[in-house]
Amino acid sequence: MKQDDIQKNENILYAGIDLGTSRSSISASNGTRQWIESYVGWPKDFIAAQVVGKPVLFGAEALQNRLSLDLCRPLEHGVIKEGISRNEEAVKDIIKYLIELAEPAPDQKIFAVVGVPADTLKVNKLAIRKAVTDFVHSLMVVTEPFAVAYGMNLLNNSLVIDIGAGTTDFCIMHGTIPSEDDQKTILTAGDYIDDQLYSYLIEKYPGSRFNKNMVRQFKEQYSFVRDLDEDIRVEIPVAGKPVMHDIKNEIKRACESILPALTETTIEMIARFDPEFQVKIKNNIVLAGGGSLIRGIKEYLQDALKEYGPCNVTCVQDPLFAGSDGAIKLAKDMPVKYWEPL
Amino acid sequence: MKRFFPWNKEQRVRKDILRGVYEENLRIVGKGPAVIYKTRFYSAKRLMLPFLISLMILMFQESFVPTPMQQRSQITANTFQKAYQPSAGGVSEEGPSNYKSFISSPGMPISRIFGLGVRTIMIDPGHGGNDTGTKGEMGTKEKDIALDIAKRLRDRLKKYGNYNIVLTRDSDVTVPLNRRVEMAKASKADLFLSIHLNYLPSRPINIIETYYFGPSSDPKILKLAEQENAESSYGNSDFREIIGKIGDTMKLQESKEFAASIQKKLFMNMRKETGTAYNFGVKRAPFVVLLGVDVPSVLAEVSCLSSKEEEVQLNTESHRENIARYLELGILEYLNKGDVTHEARRHTEK
Repeated sequence: MKQDDIQKNENILYAGIDLGTSRSSISASNGTRQWIESYVGWPKDFIAAQVVGKPVLFGAEALQNRLSLDLCRPLEHGVIKEGISRNEEAVKDIIKYLIELAEPAPDQKIFAVVGVPADTLKVNKLAIRKAVTDFVHSLMVVTEPFAVAYGMNLLNNSLVIDIGAGTTDFCIMHGTIPSEDDQKTILTAGDYIDDQLYSYLIEKYPGSRFNKNMVRQFKEQYSFVRDLDEDIRVEIPVAGKPVMHDIKNEIKRACESILPALTETTIEMIARFDPEFQVKIKNNIVLAGGGSLIRGIKEYLQDALKEYGPCNVTCVQDPLFAGSDGAIKLAKDMPVKYWEPL
Repeated sequence: MKRFFPWNKEQRVRKDILRGVYEENLRIVGKGPAVIYKTRFYSAKRLMLPFLISLMILMFQESFVPTPMQQRSQITANTFQKAYQPSAGGVSEEGPSNYKSFISSPGMPISRIFGLGVRTIMIDPGHGGNDTGTKGEMGTKEKDIALDIAKRLRDRLKKYGNYNIVLTRDSDVTVPLNRRVEMAKASKADLFLSIHLNYLPSRPINIIETYYFGPSSDPKILKLAEQENAESSYGNSDFREIIGKIGDTMKLQESKEFAASIQKKLFMNMRKETGTAYNFGVKRAPFVVLLGVDVPSVLAEVSCLSSKEEEVQLNTESHRENIARYLELGILEYLNKGDVTHEARRHTEK
């Protein structure tokens, strides 16, 4: 019996989940594609529970009601805000919520592939398996950049650079499952830009009221490197009054702060390979993750690598779903015999 | 035909990758193919290294320094009080010969005796980069767990606000042992804690042990030291210089106190948490990373990857966070030793 027939007969829902530091997404074989911000919030007390009207809130809704909630961003790198047991509970809640969003039919078996940041996988692989176990029948865990590479058919001689929130993951594909030597993680990523931008803005506008959430929104809306013709002006309260602020230089400085490490690590990863393959890899560099949306980053990297010979850098079409789309492709391609019940 | 072959090749690659993903996931749950533990290159130089160091230390001690441990055991409880009595003129009558007994007072950190504070604590996550350290059956690597615990410990200690916490590495990079020693000196570390994980191929149990620098005649300890020293990048000639530091009695005794605090808190709490931890105690061993550091320094084997049960636990955030908490308690106990108010507070809290 063919793989497709077995899948139909068995009443299986395949799910690809991208469990990101900042955003998590799910792509399912019934065509559902959903994403949420990776925030979980529980009401702080009895009154808060009545105000928000739910025992647990997710994503944007949790962020909006953050003053009433114990807010947790479970995969945030190295930060423990509400205790570790809360972190583990939050991962579990996010997975449960994402699977609910995929709307599986009653009695349908769920076979899931979950992509997680490479660093998280090193020490949390079992915890992630445990978090998912209650909600799926069978499970595979992979790294995010690998899921992206698989989804884009970049199986050989390619380099995927996943610029996420907590980490930037590098993954070289050379026709086999990437080993540890083929992958590298650095900590200069989206959150690092947020921290830089926050400090620059505080320095330039000491009298204005910022918070980390506002700064993150500025970055997501206006991020760029190198040059930009347009002005970047945002409204920020000063002594309670909204005042326009010019933040163009600060955005540029903050976004460019990740470039040296990005370029250096890209060169280091490519240099590990035989010169013959180096040329091929250089012509097949793909930027993924939210960081790939920074305007000018693709061109910057391409120019920075020019002195090492010609190269071609592209960005994924849909950074939000590139990981979960890759994971579902992997799930569908996985032979049925490899899916073991949990 | 031209079109057929590339397609066939891609299918084969895809098949291999899918099988790889499956096998990798089997390994996560401990069903994967066997892994190689502690694969190291045992060169003659490396095999000789710990024996050479031990020999030199013993020779040095016999020639110049009274055996610190013997000297220590002979000191009575009131030695410190006696030594600390100022003379009528405000100048101590104790001569240089009693100075050693003064600084050897048990239970009192040197920093407190001289009114010095600990400002910089250096945490050293063992191994890293190409040097993975030990590896559990599920593929859990010592370098990853050590780094994660070190970061958690850093975050915990930072909350006090009065310590500068420095890590020898905060990502998965290779840092030779001599570089770690240099970093400790450059950052003017007052305290040095190296975090490692054990592996006992013959016994799948979770053992906790803490080391400070010193000679050892136990072949198992020498073997462990040899493994941990393998990435030191020190040559034999370097040891002539650094071996001179062994006369630093103060450091040895402080390190022993520090090791005792770490071991006590780590073992007691691990035992309480898991019920399966074994106390292998405080030991001396010729670890290069401890010899080179001038300040109180210990190497803690905080867990054991040969225990399947423990490896499973190490893959949960809560267990790693707990280990970091036990290390934090050990550090605090050492820093607060001799502090009457701290002791009183501790008893009241009980």
